[in-house]
Amino acid sequence: MHEIKIAEDLSAIVLETAKRESLSKVTRVNIIFGQLVQIVPEIFEYAFRETVRDTIANDADVFIEIVPVKMKCIKCGNDFLVKENRFKCNVCFSTDLDIISGKELFIKSIEGE
Amino acid sequence: MEIKIMKNILDRNQNKADEVRKLLELKKVLMVNVISSPGAGKTTLLERTCEELGEKFRLGIVEGDITTDRDAQRLKKYNIPIVVINTEGGCHLDSHSISKVLGYFDLDKLDVLFVENVGNLICPSQFDLGETFKLALVSTTEGDDKPDKYPMLFREAKAVLLNKIDLVPYTNFNYNNFRSDLKKINANIPLFEVSCTRGDGLKEWFDWITEKINNFQ
Repeated sequence: MHEIKIAEDLSAIVLETAKRESLSKVTRVNIIFGQLVQIVPEIFEYAFRETVRDTIANDADVFIEIVPVKMKCIKCGNDFLVKENRFKCNVCFSTDLDIISGKELFIKSIEGE
Repeated sequence: MEIKIMKNILDRNQNKADEVRKLLELKKVLMVNVISSPGAGKTTLLERTCEELGEKFRLGIVEGDITTDRDAQRLKKYNIPIVVINTEGGCHLDSHSISKVLGYFDLDKLDVLFVENVGNLICPSQFDLGETFKLALVSTTEGDDKPDKYPMLFREAKAVLLNKIDLVPYTNFNYNNFRSDLKKINANIPLFEVSCTRGDGLKEWFDWITEKINNFQ
């Protein structure tokens, strides 16, 4: 149910940005979620709709892009996608890794007029 | 017209968490964010930990609870500072609520602050509280599939406690499945297999957390 809190913070950013840019209507909100954050898009969209009800973002479309979990091996430098929760380099088998993507909770942009 | 923003939606929470972390580092207070399902044994773990470490270190506890103060009542007997945060239905604590309650503690007189998060394996993993590290607690009665189902928590946590090992004979919990799934997600994470009611395995946990506290001083 963390979707609700995240939707509240998102709607605050959307409305602040729209105000600053003097938009009269927000038509689309573009979001990026990493696979690891386990957001349920349907619940998130529902929560977002509730938080922007009767605002200039009331009718905005919500577009959610889910990005896969990608890691970089610290030992050999290989980039790889994590499949079935296997956090291990597929070249040198090291488990010393940095995350490249998969934890995002980003607002990419808004569209409006 | 498209307006690029490209920022973390939880920026507000993150900024406050960074502030909390800085303050606690300055005051040399180690903060442990304890995350588990409801009923896994967070409060019992804190009871045992208070009994063992209460003499050696100055402890404090933040109790995240949806509506009651029942967990805090159980911990009152240890005579340490405890503050309850009622989330009123909220499924996790956030850095703003932690920042507010830090004012109730004398941080110059604390070595460790245990935060008992709201019982839930997904939501608390997303909200940085400014903790030194997260501790994942799971119990055998929940099944052996928790790491595979909630990889974010087991990837983010600094250690895992597997509680209720005394109850394994009454469940279909499979140690091999649990250990291999955990290892797949986080190869080097310390795992403590314990029974907080019977005491099995707790010595290793006490030794580990003692070292962490000492290193933070």
